[in-house]
Amino acid sequence: MIDRLCDQARDGDIAVAGLYCDFLTWREQTTTNIMGAILKQLVGRGDIPKDVHEAFQKGKRVFGGREPLLVDLMRMLRIAIAPFPRVFICIDGLDECLPENLPGLLQSLRDIVQESPKARIFLTGRPHVGRAIQRYFARVVVIPISPNTDDIREYLERRLNSDPKPPEAMDDDLRADVRRTILDKMSDM
Amino acid sequence: MNQTTHTHSVYIDGNAPGGNIIGNYNNTSYKSDEDTQIMRWLSPLEPKYTHQDIQKRRFDCVGDWLLETGEFREWRGGEGGADKAVLFCSGNPGVGKTYLK
Repeated sequence: MIDRLCDQARDGDIAVAGLYCDFLTWREQTTTNIMGAILKQLVGRGDIPKDVHEAFQKGKRVFGGREPLLVDLMRMLRIAIAPFPRVFICIDGLDECLPENLPGLLQSLRDIVQESPKARIFLTGRPHVGRAIQRYFARVVVIPISPNTDDIREYLERRLNSDPKPPEAMDDDLRADVRRTILDKMSDM
Repeated sequence: MNQTTHTHSVYIDGNAPGGNIIGNYNNTSYKSDEDTQIMRWLSPLEPKYTHQDIQKRRFDCVGDWLLETGEFREWRGGEGGADKAVLFCSGNPGVGKTYLK
């Protein structure tokens, strides 16, 4: 999705930032780090804005150095978003975010949208996180994703054709079996 | 950010010899190196690597149907303003949410 949005961007007038939540790196996936990662993508395209430089220098002067504070990141994000007519923020796998981090993350996303109405938020996750999202956003556009028959068929054909085993290992009957079994299973998802 | 700057900044994650080295960089010759430090300071997360990994594993055209939906177009176009700022793709594990191109 990030690439599709990038493809559609013209003349640098659209910024796209994205992040994948993952159980494996839960420790690092705090709201602060996620907002920092979004900001990093927005400012990493060109010269780093002055206010980001200043915040970095300020953090360094604190004894032992200090990591960015969420409130500072939110301020820097607002400034970074401002030059673009449209900014897309994509976060994949919200359900993999720690439950105790989710409210803070959604709150921050809501703050972004309220302060920067041209920001668009693209989220994916299991159906149950929809309820949490709706607590923060009154009107969420929900698109249910289910396996698409055409997508699966296309994928299957390519996998079958690129199978490294010798051709005699799979005759037409076996191929047909594979196709049928997988498409049947898919209809149960 | 310039990729090549990574090689200069390896030590900032480890025990930098003395605490003032970062401050010795001036704005001109080490500008890109400071940029690297700033990027790491902003967040330890590096979503671009996950993204590159997913790019390699997915197939083109998967999820194209989504782009054609009215909901997506409306959300993308932003006609709804802040009111319709959020699009949520909801689905059970393994249905391919991550691999929508």
